[in-house]
Order: sequence, then structure tokens, then C-alpha cells
Amino acid sequence: MAGAFVIEGLHKSFGALHAVNDVSLDIEAGQVHSLIGPNGAGKTTLFNCITGFLRPDAGKVLLNGNDVTHQPSHKLVKSGIVRTFQITQVFGELSARENVELAARSREGLNFDLFRKASACQEAREDAEESLEVVGLIEKAHLRPEELGHGDKRVLEVAIGLALNPEVLLLDEPTAGMSRTETERISRLVRQIADRTSVLLVEHDTEVVLSISDKITVMTQGRVIAQGPPEQISKDPQVQDAYLGAVEVGED
Amino acid sequence: MAASPDVENRVEDITRVRSREIATRVLLAGFALLILAVPFLGASPFFITLLTEALIFGIWAMSLDLLVGYTGLVSFGHAASFGFATYAAGIFAMNVSADFFLSTMVAILTAAAVAFFTGLVVTRLSGIAFAILTLCICQVLFQISVVWRSFTGGLDGLIGVPLPTLFGREVEPGEEFYLLTAATLIICYLLLRRVVESPFGKTLLAIRANEDRAAAIGIDVRRHKLVILILSWMTGGVAGTLFVFLKAGANPMSLYWIESGNILAITILGGIGTLFGPIIGAIGFIFIRDQVTTMYRAWQFSFGLAFVLAVLFMPSGIAGIAERIWRRLWPARS
Repeated sequence: MAGAFVIEGLHKSFGALHAVNDVSLDIEAGQVHSLIGPNGAGKTTLFNCITGFLRPDAGKVLLNGNDVTHQPSHKLVKSGIVRTFQITQVFGELSARENVELAARSREGLNFDLFRKASACQEAREDAEESLEVVGLIEKAHLRPEELGHGDKRVLEVAIGLALNPEVLLLDEPTAGMSRTETERISRLVRQIADRTSVLLVEHDTEVVLSISDKITVMTQGRVIAQGPPEQISKDPQVQDAYLGAVEVGED
Repeated sequence: MAASPDVENRVEDITRVRSREIATRVLLAGFALLILAVPFLGASPFFITLLTEALIFGIWAMSLDLLVGYTGLVSFGHAASFGFATYAAGIFAMNVSADFFLSTMVAILTAAAVAFFTGLVVTRLSGIAFAILTLCICQVLFQISVVWRSFTGGLDGLIGVPLPTLFGREVEPGEEFYLLTAATLIICYLLLRRVVESPFGKTLLAIRANEDRAAAIGIDVRRHKLVILILSWMTGGVAGTLFVFLKAGANPMSLYWIESGNILAITILGGIGTLFGPIIGAIGFIFIRDQVTTMYRAWQFSFGLAFVLAVLFMPSGIAGIAERIWRRLWPARS
């Protein structure tokens, strides 16, 4: 189920560098909320703070009104906060199906089950199939990640996330390194999954962001400089200065 | 590459994989029968004793495979699990009861307790730090066994551990004890096979591949490391119990770092992540050591050289090579 997700005044410093400086944002259930900003704006640091990979210095993370700040990553997953990674990090020696099943078994609390065969966990198998079906990978479920194309691998990350039945799914640059058609596929997918989970999306592709987001937060140098619906953000002169213009010139 | 999946091919693929699985099972069952049959094939008492030691090392190496092969935790102090159990079981057998089940229970439960407290510290770590800290903990146990003379017998160790009893009957050294060891090995193998194929076992693979990624799918990495460390020590404890009865005594050298190195080399040479490979590695090690030590004194040099060459040229160990041949005999992909 999609949940309401709130970040309040989050701070994270590394020595004198304020990587994340007083960031607040608010995601309503079932919304796609995008986080954009140039490299070094603090997006990934924010992600890591929210998902328990870094300890924020100050601020709060609330899921459906419950304070989940400072919970370790694996507990956050149980609470419903699930992330994907910027660099594809699926388990290479497992097939796509096994990758997703691992997540499904984890959600069902079978991680410490020593007394049955992993391959005999029927419910996890069905859940994994459903996730693979949703992202359109079911036909390739028997392949190992190295046999999948780059786009499919990114989609597999999303399937793993979905199998954990998140309330909010944090996607870290899901279209990184993708072709135009693959990017469109991911965009459609993100829109499509928003009816089962809220989405916080870090993304560089401004076209994607403007087309699929309900709300956008723009960061530079650790701070939020603008927040609002896409039409407002695309017109914001400060944003155009700091980010949108710069990207068109310097896009790689 | 991601070719469009051909359903017919896939069905054929699955049946072939299944037939290979069945063939593997038949092979393993044959190996188990062969091991159990050795005393009835006219093997010499010397050979039987040597093979007993090899199978004990096999159990011990399997226990290390749980850490190194399945979880990616390289322990340089795995003599701790084995050596600790030789003392625990030995002292219990000398003072309370030589019942094999009871002694084994005492050894594995105390080993589990030590593993738990060790684990509270070492599960924070991985890689080199884990290796070094396990080495240190093992050396501490070694020092204790040397210094605490009234309890451990110091450098002399425990002397005069009685023969084990099974259902109130003494187990004769030689063939009977060999059969007890072989049966224990087979039971350990089957239990551990279950563990590595369970949902828990699969989470270990995830931890080995990438701890952060494992945490991000809701796996409590530290607790899983703790559980597998305890299971590994318990299995090592079973091996230590058999060893103390085989030798009728315990010695601090079982806790020495060289033993940790030997068992690590055995496990890697045999083939990590296979459970079966380390058994083969242990049999090879014990028999080669026996042959080579009587021929010349620098045998450890030749063992070291063989180890380096093996790591360079067959990183997946003996089991890896065997598996490749096996897969060629039962090809899965057309």
C-alpha cells in the first residue's frame, strides 16, 4: 500500500561540508515525487540518510506519521521504505527470478527459516512472479543478470523493490545510462507502480521528471531551492539558472 | 545475450538440469556407501585410522565452508571451533561421562556459546578485519589452553580421554570408531545441505555478494552472520569431539594458528561453496601429508607451493573442476 512519507529538516555534514542542509519534503500516498539537482547537490546523501545507510545529524523521517529516523536499513525495509541503487547491484549468480524471490521471502519473514527448501516457498514464488509480470520481465525470469540487457537489469531492480511490498519506493537514477526507448519504458513503469506505492525518484533526465512527477524538489549544494508541481518548477527562474539550463549545455 | 525465450528449449533445459541433479544425488549416495563400506573391503587398520582423521577434518572443513564459501567471511582462526571442542568434550568425557552423544552435546553447546560472544564482536566486520580478529581470538584461546594448566594440562594437553560409549556400549577404536565418524560426516553433510538450500542459506549468498544490497532487501546482516558463525562453530565442535576421542587426548596445537591455516587451505583447495569439495580436500590433505612427511621434512613448503598454484590456476578448487567435467557429461544448455 502506498504510504505518506515526510522528511523534516534533515541535516548531514561531512566535516565542514553540509551535504544535506535543512531538507524537508512531503510525499502524499500514491504520488511520484522527484528529486533533481546537479551532481553533488546531495541527492544520494539524502537517499542514504533516509534509508539507514548514513545517520542524519538532525531532522526526522516519518512514514504514515510514525518516526522511523535512525532505524537500520533492514528494519526500514520491513517498515515499508525500500530503495534501489544508482549502480545496478542485483545478485549476479542468481537468476532474475531468484533475485526477486530472495526479496519476496525476505518480506514474508522467512530469512531465518532453516527447515525448508528455499525453492519450495510457494508464496514467495508467486509474489516474485507477480512482480516480474508487472515490470514485464517474466519472459526473461530464468536469465541471469549478466545475460540481461542494461535496461532489463534496471527494471529488475524495480521488480526486487516491488517484491518487498513498499509503502514508499526510492529509486536512485533508474534511467542512468539508458537509451531513449528504455527511458520511456522506465517512465511508464514508474507511473504505473504509483498506484501501489509512493515513489521518490532521483533523476537527471529533466524531460522524464517533468513528464511523470506529481511534485518536484530541486536541490543545489545541499539545500532545497524550489519545490512544487512540474509546471511551476519548469518556469522557476532560479531553477532554470541553477539546473535546467546548465543541463542542456552540459549534458553528456 | 537475451535471446527470445524458446519455450521448448526451456522445457528441455529443465529436464536436463533435473536429470543432472538426480545423477549428482546418485553419485553422492554412491560416495556415502563407499565410505561406509571401507572397513568391509579389507582396508588395513592404519588406512582406517588415517581415513578416520581425514573424515573428521572433512566435517571441520565443511564447517569452515559455511563461513568462507557461503557467507564470504574468511576466518583465519577456525582452529578455535575445533580446538575448543577437543577440550570441552575431552574434559567432560574424563570427568563426567564418555557417552558420545552427551560429549558431543556439551562440545557443540559450549562452542555455540563461545561463538555467540565472539560473534558479537566479529560480525561487525568483514574482509581482512574479520580474518585478523578471528585469528586473534583463536590465539587467545591457544594461550589460555597453554597457561591454565590445572584445567587444560598446559602444553601436555589432556591425556587419557576414555573411549566413547554409544548407548552404554564402548566404541572400539579402529573400524567401529571409523563407522561412527563416517555416519557423523554423512549426517552433518545432509543437515548442512539443508541449511544452505533453505531461505536462510540463500540470504547468506546475498550477504556474500553485497552486504549493503542484502540490507536493502530487509536482511539483518549482522544477525545472519552471527547465526552462521554459531552453526559453523557447532559443526566444528562435532569434528573436535570426534578428534579428541580418536587421539584419546587434546593438545594446544589444535588451537594453534597453523591449524587455522591448514583447514583454510583444505577448504579452498577442495572448493568453497560446495560442502562436498572440502571433504575431498581434507581426504587429500591428510593422505598427502602422511606420504610426504615420511619422505622429507620440508613438506609444509611443498604444501604451501601446491596451495599457491592451486589458487592461481584452479580458484574454484577440486570440486570446481569436478563440477565442470560433470556439467560436460550432463549438459544443460543445448
